[in-house]
Amino acid sequence: MKNRKMTIMSLLLAVILILAACGGGGSQSNSGGASGSSSGDGPALVTMAYLVFTDVTDIDLVEEEINKISREKINVEVDLMPLDAAAWQQQVNLLLAGNEKLDIIMSSSLMGYTTQVSRGQLVELDELLEQYGQDIKNTMPEAIYNGTRINGKIYGIPSIRDFAQDYGMVMRKDLVDKYNIDLSKVKTWADLTEVFKVIKANEPNMAPLVATGQSNQPVAFMIAPVVDALSDGLGVIKMDDPEMKVVNLYELDEYRELLLLVRQWHEAGYTLPDAATTQEAGANLVKAGKGFGYFNNLKPGYAAQESLLTNHEMVQVSLTDAVVQSSSASSFMLSIARNTTDPVSAMKFINLLYTDADVMNLLANGIEGKHYVIQENGLITRPEGVTETGYQFNQWEIGNNFLTHVWEGQDPDIWEQMKAFNASGIVSPALGFTFDQSPVKSEVAAVTNVIDQYKIGLESGTLEIEYLDRFIRELKDAGIDRIIAEKQKQLDDWAAANGKK
Amino acid sequence: MKTNQMNQFAINVFFILASIACIFPFLLMFVASFTSEQSIINEGYTLFPSEFSLDAYRYLWDNVSSIGRSYGITILITAIGTTAGLLISSLLAYPLSRVDLPLHGLLSFFVFFTMLFNGGLVPTYLIYTEVFHIKNTLWALIVPSLLTNGFYILLIRTFFRTSIPKEVIESAYMDGASEFRIFFSFVMPLSLPILATIGLMLGIGYWNDWFNGLVYVSDSKLFSLQNLLNRMLQNIQFLQQNTLGSKAMSSASIPTNAVRMAMAVIGIVPILLIYPFFQKFFVKGLTIGAVKG
Amino acid sequence: MAQSWRKVWKTFWRFKALYLMLVPGVAYLIINNYMPMFGLTIAFKDINYAKGIWASDWIGFKNFEFLFMTKDAWRITRNTILYNAVFIVLNTVVAIGVAILLNEVRKKYLARFYQSVLLLPYLISMVIVAYLVLSILNVENGFMNKVILPALGIDPISWYTEAKYWPYILTTVNLWKNIGYQCIIYLAAIVGIDPEYYEAATIDGASKWEQIKSITVPLLMPTIIILTLLAIGRIFYADFGLFYQVPLNSGSLKPTTDVIDTYVYRGLITLGDIGMSSAAGFYQSMIGFVLVLTTNFIVRLKDKDQALF
Repeated sequence: MKNRKMTIMSLLLAVILILAACGGGGSQSNSGGASGSSSGDGPALVTMAYLVFTDVTDIDLVEEEINKISREKINVEVDLMPLDAAAWQQQVNLLLAGNEKLDIIMSSSLMGYTTQVSRGQLVELDELLEQYGQDIKNTMPEAIYNGTRINGKIYGIPSIRDFAQDYGMVMRKDLVDKYNIDLSKVKTWADLTEVFKVIKANEPNMAPLVATGQSNQPVAFMIAPVVDALSDGLGVIKMDDPEMKVVNLYELDEYRELLLLVRQWHEAGYTLPDAATTQEAGANLVKAGKGFGYFNNLKPGYAAQESLLTNHEMVQVSLTDAVVQSSSASSFMLSIARNTTDPVSAMKFINLLYTDADVMNLLANGIEGKHYVIQENGLITRPEGVTETGYQFNQWEIGNNFLTHVWEGQDPDIWEQMKAFNASGIVSPALGFTFDQSPVKSEVAAVTNVIDQYKIGLESGTLEIEYLDRFIRELKDAGIDRIIAEKQKQLDDWAAANGKK
Repeated sequence: MKTNQMNQFAINVFFILASIACIFPFLLMFVASFTSEQSIINEGYTLFPSEFSLDAYRYLWDNVSSIGRSYGITILITAIGTTAGLLISSLLAYPLSRVDLPLHGLLSFFVFFTMLFNGGLVPTYLIYTEVFHIKNTLWALIVPSLLTNGFYILLIRTFFRTSIPKEVIESAYMDGASEFRIFFSFVMPLSLPILATIGLMLGIGYWNDWFNGLVYVSDSKLFSLQNLLNRMLQNIQFLQQNTLGSKAMSSASIPTNAVRMAMAVIGIVPILLIYPFFQKFFVKGLTIGAVKG
Repeated sequence: MAQSWRKVWKTFWRFKALYLMLVPGVAYLIINNYMPMFGLTIAFKDINYAKGIWASDWIGFKNFEFLFMTKDAWRITRNTILYNAVFIVLNTVVAIGVAILLNEVRKKYLARFYQSVLLLPYLISMVIVAYLVLSILNVENGFMNKVILPALGIDPISWYTEAKYWPYILTTVNLWKNIGYQCIIYLAAIVGIDPEYYEAATIDGASKWEQIKSITVPLLMPTIIILTLLAIGRIFYADFGLFYQVPLNSGSLKPTTDVIDTYVYRGLITLGDIGMSSAAGFYQSMIGFVLVLTTNFIVRLKDKDQALF
C-alpha cells in the first residue's frame, strides 16, 4: 500500500516535470487566427491591434473577407487583434515592450500617445505616408492631418469621425413635450435652471440633472469648449486667445462661475445627493427613471444614439459653439509599432482603410447578410429576428468612416452633416500641439492626485465653493506652476517653429 | 477537552452572530442578482426588492457557451495548478525544514527574497513570452502562479518543523528508509492539515485569478471564468468612467448591476460546494499515535 | 585544504536526496522570480524601448522624486503604516481567537458549517464588497441612514464625505473579509497539537483558559512569528482593492484613505510611466525588507529555529 502510493506520487512528479520542460522549451504556436501566412512570394502579413468593447466572436470570418480584398489589391493580409478595453492598457504596454509581431496599433492622446512616442515605441510616418499612404491626406482637413505631429514628425493618422465638438444637454423628449418646455429659448447653461425647476416640481422622484459618469460631472462639459486643454488640462489656453498664454484652468473666473451655478443646482435639489459617488452611468439613471437628462459633448446624431441606451426618445440641445481643439485630431489614430518588420505593407494596408468602402464596411459593420442587411432606403439594420450578432464594432475608431453604411435610426446623410459640422467648428490656435510631460512628470503625478481629490466634488456641486480656494492652493503646492511654465515654453517653441506667432 | 454547557452556548451564539454577518451580505448579493435593474437603481440593494427579474441570468444564458467553456478552463487549471503547486511547494519546504541540512538558512532566504523583490510585470512578461513562448497557451494560466508565494513554502516549512515529531523521522532512518520514502510515506500523511490549507489557498487563488488571463491571453477560447467576467465588467466600467466612454457608449449593450451580482454568484458557488470536502482533512495526522505506541 | 573540500563534498553527498527535492522549486523560482530581476533596474532608468531596457539611460533617483516631493508623502506613508500595523495585530488576535473557539465547538458539523460561512467574505471580490458597503452607507437608502440611525435618534450622516469614520469602516471591512481565511492557517496548526498535552493538563487540574495560555498559544508561536514577520515585510504595501474600491473614489475621504498604492496608481494613470511605478514598488519593497531583516535578527537572538532565515 505504501509502496503504491509512493510510486504514484513519483510518477505524478515525473509527469509534471516533463510537461513543464516541454511547455518551456518547445515553442507553442501562438497565433491569433491568421490564415494562409507564408513567407517569400506569398502576401505579406500585418497584425493590427485595436480597441473593442464587446466579444467579437465572428472576427475570423470578417478577417477572411477583408483578406480576400486586400490580398488582391495590395498583396497584403491582415491578422486582426481586437483587445478588450479591460486589457488594453496592460496588453499594449507589454506588446510594445517586447518583440511580438505587431505592425499597426490604435493609438490615442487619451491613452498614452505622447508617452509612447517619447519612449520610442511608435514609428515615424512622414516618408511612409508620402510613398504609400498618398490617399490619406485628401480625406481630412489639413489641420487635422498635421494635428498629430510631435517634434515635427507624424506618428499617428487620425480616424475620420467627428473632429469638432459642441456641448449641451440630452434629455427625455416625452417629458419635454409633456411640460411644454420650449427648448428654443434655452441658449445658455443658466437657461437650464428654469427647465430644471419645472421638472423638479412635477417629477419629485427624478433628478433633472444627473452626472454622465462618476468622473464626468457637469462642470467638466461646461468648461470644455471655453479652453483648449492642451493634452492634459494641466495648464490651458482660452480658445479666444491668439497670444496662447497658458493659464491655470482652475483659477479662471469662468470656472468659478460655473461651479457656483452647479452648486446652486445641487442645493436646489436638481442633482442627486450622491452625485459625486454614484457609480451609475447617466444613461442608466435615465433608463431607470431616476434622471431627466445629462450633459455631454454632442455631435450630429447623438440624441438618437443615446435613445438606444436609455430606452426613451431623447432630444438634445446644444449650448455652445462647436470647437476643434488640439487633441481633436489625436484622440483616435492608427500608428505603426516599432515591433514592425514590414512598415511598407503596414502603411499600404492603412491606406486601404481610407480608400476602400468594402473593407471599411467589413471592419465597421461586419459581413453583409450575416451581420447586417441593406434596406430599400439605403440604410442598414440587423437581419430579421437577430438580436445579438457575432460582430459589433464602431464607426469612429479606425479609418475612413465616411465610407461606411448608415444604420437605421440615424439620418441618411449623417456623414455629410458631420463634414459640415466639422468644418463649422472654431479652431483652437493650438491645434496640432502635443505636450510632452516627461520634464515635469513628478509634478504631474503630484498634481493629478490633488485634482483627483477635489475635482469630482467641486464639479458636481457637492462641495462648497470655499473648497475651490483650498484646491488652488494645494495645486500650487504640488507644482502646477512649474508645469504651466514648461508647457508655455513648449507651446512657444512649437508656435515659432510653425509660424503661428 | 470537555467544556461546560454555558461555554458551549456562548461560543455558539458568537458564531451564529458572526455567521449572520458573513451570510447577510452574500444573501444581499444573491437576491440582487434576481432583482430588476429599475429596482436596484431606485432602492439600492435590499433583501425584499419591489421587483424580481431573471434578466441577469437570461443575459448570462445568452453567453452560456463562452461561460461554460470558461468554467471548463478554470476547473482544469485549478486542478492541475493546485496539485502541481502543492507538490513542488512541499518538495521545496521539506529540505528547508531540516535544520541538519547545510545551507538551509540561506535557501530560506533565497525563497523569502522573492516575496519582496520582484522584477515587475514587464520583465516577467518578456521572459515568459519571448523565452518560453507561453502566450495564449494553457501554460500561461498555470505556470506564473505555481509558487505564487514564498509565503506558502515558508508556512509549510514551519508546519513540518513543529508538527512532525523528530522521532518519526529518526525511527524511519533506523529502519533504513530513504529520504524520498520518508517524505512520501511519513511526512506527507502527517501533514494533511497544512496540505489541505495550502491546497485550498492555491485552489482559491487559481479559481479567482483573472490577472494572468488578462495579461497573457487574448484568445477568447482560453478565458478562465474570472477572466471573462472581469473583462465584461471592466469593459462596461471603462465606458462609463472614461472620457473615451462618452464617445463610445453606442457600441455596447451594457449589462446591469444585477448581472454583476449574478456573475459574482456563479463564481463563488462552486467554491462553496467544494470546501466541505476539504474540511475533512482538518484532522490530526494519521500515524501520530502509532509512533507513540 | 583538500581535506576540507572533501568533507564539504561528503556532507552534501549525504543529503543528496534532499537537495534533489529542492530542484523543481528552485528552478521555478529562478525562472519566475530571479531571471526577471533585471527589471529592478527600471526604477533607475529612463526607459526608451527603441534602445531596449538594457541600453536605456540611467537617471539615478529621479523616478523616486514624485513619492517624496509632495506634501502628501507624509500622509500616505502614515496611513499605510498605521493601517497595516492595526491590521496585523487585530487580525492575528481575532484569527487565533476564532480558530481556538472553532476548535472548541463540540458538534463537529456545526464547526464545519461555521468555518464555511466565515470563508464567504474572502471569496467576494472587493468590487462587489464596495457595492455591499454602499448599500449600507448610502446617504439616501442605505441600511445605516434608513434603519439604524433613526432607531438611535441620530441624523443621517453623509458617510462618503466624512473622512473621520473611515479608519473604522475600513478596518472592519478588512477584518470581516479576511478572518475566515486567516483562521484556517491557525486552525491547521491547532489541529496538529498533540491532544496528550491537553489531557495531561486536565488531569493536573488546569482550567480551559490556563490550557489555552500555556499550551495552545506557545505551540502556535512559530506560526504566529512567521506570519507576523511576513506581514511586516509587506507593511508598506496596502490592499489596493480595499482602499481604492470601497471608498468609491471619493475625494473627500482622501486624508484617511489614501495609501501609497492608491497614490501611485492615481498619479500615474495618465502618465503611464513604468520607471516611476517601478520606483514606487522598489521603495515599498526596500523598506519592508529592511524591517524584516531587523525583526528577523531580533527573533534569531531569542530562538534560532523560529526565525525566517
